[in-house]
Amino acid sequence: MEYVSPEGLRLDGRRPMEMRQLRAEIGVVAKADGSASFEMGNTKVIAAVYGPREVQNRSQQMSDKALVRCEYSMANFSTGDRRRKPKGDRRSTEISLVIRQTMEACILTHLLPRSQIDIYVQVLQADGGTRSACINAATLALADAGIPMLDLVTSCSAGYLNSTPLLDLNYVEDSAGGPDVTVGILPKLDKVTLLQMDSKLPIDNLETVMQLAIEGCKAIANHIREVLLENTKELEYRRGV
Amino acid sequence: MVGLSLGEKHFIQGGIAQDLRCDGRKRLTYRPIYVETGIIPQANGSARVRMGATDVIASVKAELGRPSSLHPDKGKVSIHIDCSPTAEPSFEGRGGEELSSELSVALQLCLLGGKSGAGSGIDLRSLVVVEGKVCWDLYIDGLVVSSDGNLLDCLGAAIKAALSNTGIPRVQVTADPSSDEQPEVDISDEEFLQLDTSGIPVIVTLTKVGRHYIVDATGEEESQMSSAVSISVNRQGHICGITKRGGAGLDPSIILDMISVAKHVSEQLINKLDSEIAAAEAEEES
Amino acid sequence: MAGKAGTTPTTYSPSPTTKKTKAPLFKDDDVDWVRPDGRGFPQCRPAFFRSGAVNAASGSAYAEFGNTKVIVSVFGPRESKKAMMYSDVGRLNCNVSYTTFATPTRGQGSDHKEFTAMLHKALEGAIMMETFPKTTVDVFALVLESGGSDLPVVISCASLALADAGIMMYDLVAAVSVSCLGKNLVIDPILEEENCQDGSLMITCMPSRYEITQLTVTGDWSTPKINEGMQLCLDACAKLAKIMRSCLKAATDSQE
Repeated sequence: MEYVSPEGLRLDGRRPMEMRQLRAEIGVVAKADGSASFEMGNTKVIAAVYGPREVQNRSQQMSDKALVRCEYSMANFSTGDRRRKPKGDRRSTEISLVIRQTMEACILTHLLPRSQIDIYVQVLQADGGTRSACINAATLALADAGIPMLDLVTSCSAGYLNSTPLLDLNYVEDSAGGPDVTVGILPKLDKVTLLQMDSKLPIDNLETVMQLAIEGCKAIANHIREVLLENTKELEYRRGV
Repeated sequence: MVGLSLGEKHFIQGGIAQDLRCDGRKRLTYRPIYVETGIIPQANGSARVRMGATDVIASVKAELGRPSSLHPDKGKVSIHIDCSPTAEPSFEGRGGEELSSELSVALQLCLLGGKSGAGSGIDLRSLVVVEGKVCWDLYIDGLVVSSDGNLLDCLGAAIKAALSNTGIPRVQVTADPSSDEQPEVDISDEEFLQLDTSGIPVIVTLTKVGRHYIVDATGEEESQMSSAVSISVNRQGHICGITKRGGAGLDPSIILDMISVAKHVSEQLINKLDSEIAAAEAEEES
Repeated sequence: MAGKAGTTPTTYSPSPTTKKTKAPLFKDDDVDWVRPDGRGFPQCRPAFFRSGAVNAASGSAYAEFGNTKVIVSVFGPRESKKAMMYSDVGRLNCNVSYTTFATPTRGQGSDHKEFTAMLHKALEGAIMMETFPKTTVDVFALVLESGGSDLPVVISCASLALADAGIMMYDLVAAVSVSCLGKNLVIDPILEEENCQDGSLMITCMPSRYEITQLTVTGDWSTPKINEGMQLCLDACAKLAKIMRSCLKAATDSQE
């Protein structure tokens, strides 16, 4: 199947290096300590952060740092074909783990000893790149909750189809079976905290694809920063500072 | 779930007794309702409804299926609700399942009517494509994104909004319907049929706190309830379903009084909801 | 099968002569139809209760309403599971299950979650939970045969079993349901009637206190009709409670 037309356009009309439209909103769950929704094209996720708070299960309490927990769940209506999935299947457990590890690496957990931070991500619509969208939403929600972080982690995916590196794969491109590189970075520090790849890719191409994904991450970081700034300004205005 | 001090409890109860609740509402006033339709493009219909800090999403998916042998002239509708842990950390893992199934059962009871289909807001006969062979199955999925009391009313409103947003593809039957084989159908992806949603009831939950009852209770108010009765009422003022929550017993005369209050409140709620849905639909189209 | 390979196979087919034709239960506007079991509309099936049906349980009861046969056993109060948090009131744990042969078509014999939740809600208001803190009472209901109005029978039988177990209650809980068929209200419906009902109303109440612990309504009802249905149910509940009480009395008398 042809994923990139001779004119250099992808199935949804984007150029190979083009990202889908980003939309982010802060404070979508009123009762949570921090929350955000993040959209990449048709992929839409909500993240809510509860904490830092007392550790629920005493045996998990750590005296030198905070406990970070994460749960990923998909709504029944999030995929094209309606399926009743049991909660806690392998895929969601794996993604929960990936998100937890990524966020744990950037939260300054040593500042919040004997406490617990819960991150819940809920996928409302899945159209490829849910992993990245979840990490981006979780970053925003953590920032909204005022939890100290090393930097804003952002994530983006890139693939390699029809011998062209493609940024931000959608569901059709994702299920083509080609390589799918998901990268998470700390943009200010220029460090990679998450790197995952499915399928195979010649080692010469890995660098270009990865570089492309990193560029995507940086673009997302800029967007997220703008959204946060906007939100802070609004808060400032409301408080009459 | 909600940690309240003794003083706060007295404050809530005292406010309700004096007909002035914590957020300034009267006992029978709803919080403002915000409706957004068409938020899940992959579904046939969807809506998001917010009442205060309660936020729910409902989606409708239509799939072709076979009617049951007992009712060959009717389509099938099923309702399933999920509670996202974003709403409450205790819904994590399997924690939300109990509430989810309770809400699903209550909504099925209140919206889908009796076994023969009478009293159902959705005309099940309109979902049949070929009698006894092909019908539409509507799968209604609800998701609780944020919860601050009164989930049932909010979900009922969201389902009503999602159903009025639903477009069911027009179906052309190509094969001879009289033959025994499963007829071939051709689903149009351009022409859609709207569901008639005028008969879908709204759910009014009356929560009894102390000697009085209130509508649209917040999470804090719900923690002080002795019992709650959810009554679904349609436009004609007919009762389509009742469920009760909470352990305390109620005198039969109180229940009859609650029913008449619910009928009165439902009129305003239906009008308010209909105008909100119409506004949301208009905004989506523009 | 291998041994029979040489003989001509005998085929089996259900004989067509026993084909049953079921007449429709009632016609739409026909008021004068007869119920399949010959009862009048406001007439319940004969109720039979017997307490102490299971020896191993701390309390149990058996109930038979026509074809609906239910057995409920109560265990406890026993210590709550260690994982549960401290609570100064008792816990009630309910379960309703069906035998594989309970329904006309062979079922799975699985648990019935909806009924379990309803049973819990109907009973929790009647039990004095504060009399057994930190402990749990288990109520296990088994529907031996489903003949309609299963849930009301389960609830009434469960309250009898609780009384038999000596669990403190404010009052016995009696439950009755009414089906709406066309224009008529039919009390204590059987399975066939339930399958074509337009609406149903179930009330569980504590008759001596005149309090409703649980109420469910489905279908389309006008207010006068709800009134009528509720009154019908409440009357029936009061009578049912009398039968339950006499059953308990008979059980204690025979012990003495």
